[in-house]
Amino acid sequence: MALGNKTLDDLLGPISEQLGRKDVAVAIKVPEWEFKAQRVTDGLSAAQLVDLFESEAAKIRVQAKRCAKADLAKAIAEIVGAGEPETGEACTVVCADEEAFAEAGLYDALKACDKVTDVHVWDEAVGDANVQKARYATYGVTYAKAGIAESATIVQPTYPKCGRAISLLPLVHIAVVDAATIVPTMLEVMQSYAADEKLPSQVCFISGPSATADIELVRVEGVHGPMYVHYVIVE
Amino acid sequence: MSILYNTDKTLRERVSDCLEDDFKHNAIRTAQEVFYVKRGELVEEMGDGWQQLRLHSMEVRNHVTENLDYYVKQFATNAEANGCVMHYAPTGDDALWEVLDIFEKHGATYAVKSKSMMTEEVGLNEVLENAGIKITETDCAENILQTAESKPSHIVVPALHFNRDAIADIYREKRGYTGSSVPEEITHFLRKILRDEFMEAEVGIRGCNFAVASTGSVTLVTNEGNGRMVDSFPKVQIVFVGIDRIIPDLEALDTMLALLPRSAVGAKMTAYFSLDSGPRGAGEVDGPEEVHIILMDNGRHTLANSEFKDMLRCMRCGACLNICPVYRHITGHGYGSIYPGPMGIVLTAGLAGYDQIDTMAFACSLCGACAEHCPVGIPIHDLIRQHRMNIVEQGKNHAVEVPIFKGLELFWSNKPIYLAAMKAGRPVMKAIARGEDALDENSVWIPVVKGWTSTRDFDVLSETRFRTWFKEHKKEQAKNGKGGEQ
Ligand code: SF4
Repeated sequence: MALGNKTLDDLLGPISEQLGRKDVAVAIKVPEWEFKAQRVTDGLSAAQLVDLFESEAAKIRVQAKRCAKADLAKAIAEIVGAGEPETGEACTVVCADEEAFAEAGLYDALKACDKVTDVHVWDEAVGDANVQKARYATYGVTYAKAGIAESATIVQPTYPKCGRAISLLPLVHIAVVDAATIVPTMLEVMQSYAADEKLPSQVCFISGPSATADIELVRVEGVHGPMYVHYVIVE
Repeated sequence: MSILYNTDKTLRERVSDCLEDDFKHNAIRTAQEVFYVKRGELVEEMGDGWQQLRLHSMEVRNHVTENLDYYVKQFATNAEANGCVMHYAPTGDDALWEVLDIFEKHGATYAVKSKSMMTEEVGLNEVLENAGIKITETDCAENILQTAESKPSHIVVPALHFNRDAIADIYREKRGYTGSSVPEEITHFLRKILRDEFMEAEVGIRGCNFAVASTGSVTLVTNEGNGRMVDSFPKVQIVFVGIDRIIPDLEALDTMLALLPRSAVGAKMTAYFSLDSGPRGAGEVDGPEEVHIILMDNGRHTLANSEFKDMLRCMRCGACLNICPVYRHITGHGYGSIYPGPMGIVLTAGLAGYDQIDTMAFACSLCGACAEHCPVGIPIHDLIRQHRMNIVEQGKNHAVEVPIFKGLELFWSNKPIYLAAMKAGRPVMKAIARGEDALDENSVWIPVVKGWTSTRDFDVLSETRFRTWFKEHKKEQAKNGKGGEQ
């Protein structure tokens, strides 16, 4: 038998046959599910969800802090203003191109920091140069679509104004999350996407710094992604 | 078929090799303890919710298995609509052929890969290397294994059998590493050397934890971020998807993700979980320009509608390895399959066939701890028992093993005798072992009998004992103020 170049029917045939039918059903009936799990977040108020998000963040070694909407630029500049996290030396920043950031005056506030030598705002027009900036950046700043209280996860979709590299290549990732978007579990996020017609090319669920325990089960942070993660919760 | 390795040795020889390796034993023991403690705490925190989640995952996955052809088709259709190029692989060889075609079409010679059991299953690396393609494993553990030319000993932490000094030496010799043996330093060295590779590679190869039929999406669960790197920078991406990875919709993803990291590593979530739906969109400057999905069967369909159909629910979390007293004893390499431990026995026997698997199905005491801890409620030990019965019935094993097996079956299924033996411990087991000895000097290797008891304590073979031991151990730990983050 020739290898490769198989069709979907070649793949489906043996499966259908094993299941005792000739053809794949045109439609099936999805049963009413019998079980629905209760979750630790059941019954929590919006304020309690934010509290939980914050306390779970601490458990996964994320530095979380809250700020008022008007203080967003200041809150981020405080983190970045410390410079390179280990040495305190000069640093560079890559930011997503968000209206909320521009409105808050974030870009100017960052440029005004003494230790910041370069602030790059993601710009589709310069193509791969964005990725190169992110590759050598100390800080990457994104605006999350939502937060998940149960696991202190932030939901970070990809779109032209916010590439994958920003939350991945810099040494530190700062994710801004609006307190009003913090939901109990992943289920609510999935339900909101299920209503969309086309999903983003990638939705990344991020929970803390990149980590491994592959050598003698010793936890090490900062493998391929950021070594430090901050959440700034905007209230 | 590359599920099996080290096939020139018998199970007995492999087991006795492993028994001599103290470091490996301690490493496995520590891993079992760490994962067991953390998982236990999270499960407890969820109360009844845990059991409900398991039951829900079972009904969802069973529904998919019953309608597997429908869901495979739905996933394929929607993934294609997302702009992915679909490749259909009824067999592992078909999959290899398709991958080679993709490389040839692009004239590509350099790929990075994030850990994928499916690619191990078909022996992808060897084939690509033979075709002159450089392929770099980017998961820390897999990179260690690749650099050391070794095989995984655990499905979640595959390089558990190397200690830090050995790992540092491997990189000193092969990659010019000059640092110390401190895990942090080695890991940061890997961060540095692999980052360039991610950026330069032409093709990214990855697996998929769950494939969503209703949206045609593939997903990846990782902690290190290498999966995200593979997913973000090479222009061409190849995704291996097993037909047993499919779930109906996004809501089901929530259920699966609530179960998987808790069961696998005792965490609520891993650092990264990505949901990918097609190549980069208009105006995006990173992410793959081309996504090829290799949708592979490789024997999985034979499990549907069979006595082993429950195995199609498996999410490869490794919880059954982390609780298994036999795995603890013979370690991952004893099994001689890339899928070790309880899940490995069932899957390897199911996919590779009885003629191929030596006597692996006997490396189990049928204690049932695996089934109790399995997040998707697979009666793993019953399936192992079923494989044994089939093997014996089909006369696949060599003659002397049959009477021994029958004797053991009686032994293990007789609870009072079993419990009495547990209480008495080694002396009784020795007596039983000697009893079996009488049959044939060469056959007493059968795991539950002499081979193990002679060099290791018998008590680790018992789940009951394991728990008692564990409770005491935990008390000790509490006293010493240890435990917690590892
Ligand atoms: S059989 Fe169950 S416990 Fe074992 S790896 Fe599969 S899902 Fe996990």
